[in-house]
Amino acid sequence: MATVSDSAAGEAPGRPRKGRITSVEVLCVVLLLAIAGQSWLRAVLDVPALRTGATVFVAVCVQALPFLVLGVLISGAIAAFVPARVLRRVLPRNESAAVGVAGVSGIALAGCECASVPVARRLIGQGVAPAAALTFLLAAPAVNPVVLVATAVAFPGEPGMVLARFAGSLATAMVMGWLWIRWGKLEWIAERALRRLPDAEGGRDRWRTFAETARGDLVDAGGFLVLGALVSAALGVLVPDEWFGALGEQIVLGIVVMAVLAVVLSLCSEADAFVAASLSALPLLPRLVFLVVGPAIDAKLFALQAGTFGRSFAIRFAPATFVVATGCAVVAGLIFLGGVR
Amino acid sequence: MRRETQNILLVLLGGALLKIAITGDYLRYVKPSQQPWIIGGGAVMVLLGVVAIGRDVLAGRHKGSGGPDHEHDHSTRSTWLLLVPVLAVFLVAPPALGSDSVTRTSASAPAGYAPSGQATFPPLPAGQVVPLAVADFVSRAGWDSTDSLRGRTVSLTGFVVHSRGRTLLARMVIGCCAADAFPVRVQLIGGQADPLPDDTWVRVTGQWVPGKGRSEFSYTPQLDVATLREIPQPRDPYEY
Repeated sequence: MATVSDSAAGEAPGRPRKGRITSVEVLCVVLLLAIAGQSWLRAVLDVPALRTGATVFVAVCVQALPFLVLGVLISGAIAAFVPARVLRRVLPRNESAAVGVAGVSGIALAGCECASVPVARRLIGQGVAPAAALTFLLAAPAVNPVVLVATAVAFPGEPGMVLARFAGSLATAMVMGWLWIRWGKLEWIAERALRRLPDAEGGRDRWRTFAETARGDLVDAGGFLVLGALVSAALGVLVPDEWFGALGEQIVLGIVVMAVLAVVLSLCSEADAFVAASLSALPLLPRLVFLVVGPAIDAKLFALQAGTFGRSFAIRFAPATFVVATGCAVVAGLIFLGGVR
Repeated sequence: MRRETQNILLVLLGGALLKIAITGDYLRYVKPSQQPWIIGGGAVMVLLGVVAIGRDVLAGRHKGSGGPDHEHDHSTRSTWLLLVPVLAVFLVAPPALGSDSVTRTSASAPAGYAPSGQATFPPLPAGQVVPLAVADFVSRAGWDSTDSLRGRTVSLTGFVVHSRGRTLLARMVIGCCAADAFPVRVQLIGGQADPLPDDTWVRVTGQWVPGKGRSEFSYTPQLDVATLREIPQPRDPYEY
């Protein structure tokens, strides 16, 4: 939005001209139409498959939005209360070492993956090396205590599963960080994500920066989260369930399918362990792949990343994450589970 | 998109979250322990929207007094999508998962029990009729080496599903939200439930019929129904 004296002026230069249609009016018309067409809307959606899809869609939104809110609040707090020079002092100057610190510090943010995207973006904005911020992005949702405890509960009598998940996810995050140091290019990241906010001075100013940053991040990321939820709900209804069944024997196919499924279903990292546990026809290794890939990259994360860091970043970062996560999970499984099992 | 529209959308979406959290509709979508998160998230969203609106109004009054910073000058078409969950919650209010999800998903065993083959369960509580969760009944029927169900009358609550000529009592089990739901099911023997349409909620009592196929992944235990009563859908439609 242009910085003009009248903060209300969005698309129109100066005052909006009379008779010009703005998004406020569009919103009002859409709302009125929707209310008028409510019974029609309900009738259209009264098909079993659509009903199931709609429920799953709302469920993913309701489940993920509070975590996104948590993420934008942390992002706002970093922008307002943590000056860039403090962050620079805390993190090691050496980028490779910073990646290690960022990966381990992911243990501290106990949230879903949606929370970590705005936080990582803000860290980059505050001058943290992108490699370290991206490592944090991948580590935070997968290695925090809540997720690990959930995994332990879902797999009673299989402590190796928790260890393997922790190791596989941390390895994924760090390998991606180091890959970024070696090959990553700053110009892939959209310019808006890199923009530094001026350090806030004074109490009132800080709170304004806090609220504005949180609001802006929420508006930016929220739409993409909804898009991800729509895609995952649609695919969840469309993907036939037989995918699970016949895979017990073919281990390589099982791994590939479970990795793809993790992307498609976009489950919350605190719940995916229970889903993996219920797929008891499969050996442990493909289920571990499911648990390592899911928090690192899935449909709603891809949408969030594309919206936050830009499309040219997401189409490079997401496939690389997918391959690295699958590889790390297989290696971690062979070490900690002692084979396919 | 204009800043005002964004703020209105935030208030609407936050309001939608607060609404389902307060009316209890959130139980159709997520597990009960999520309620404080939904209330907190919804309240923060409304607050961020209202604060921004208030500040813009004030800034409009004292012109040039340094309005909020405008860092989002890129296209924000995606923000329109925030309207979709708002409309879905207020106008459509999707129901809890039901028979469609049961027929869509092939049978799966409750987490934790199936792989080990057999397991021991704590004895059932005393009493003529023992109320049990459907998931508990299925795991005891299939994988309990002590046969704690044998000869006992249990009471189960779930909805009716007709599938491949069988009449089932089913319940969805969720770990976190409806996206990760999977069904547990019991075949009803006796014919009382056959005329009922899909998705009718019932409470049945009866006894487990030991049969073949135990300890198998797709085992669906049978229940010899003694009594069957239609009930309204419970407030909390899922098991955990």
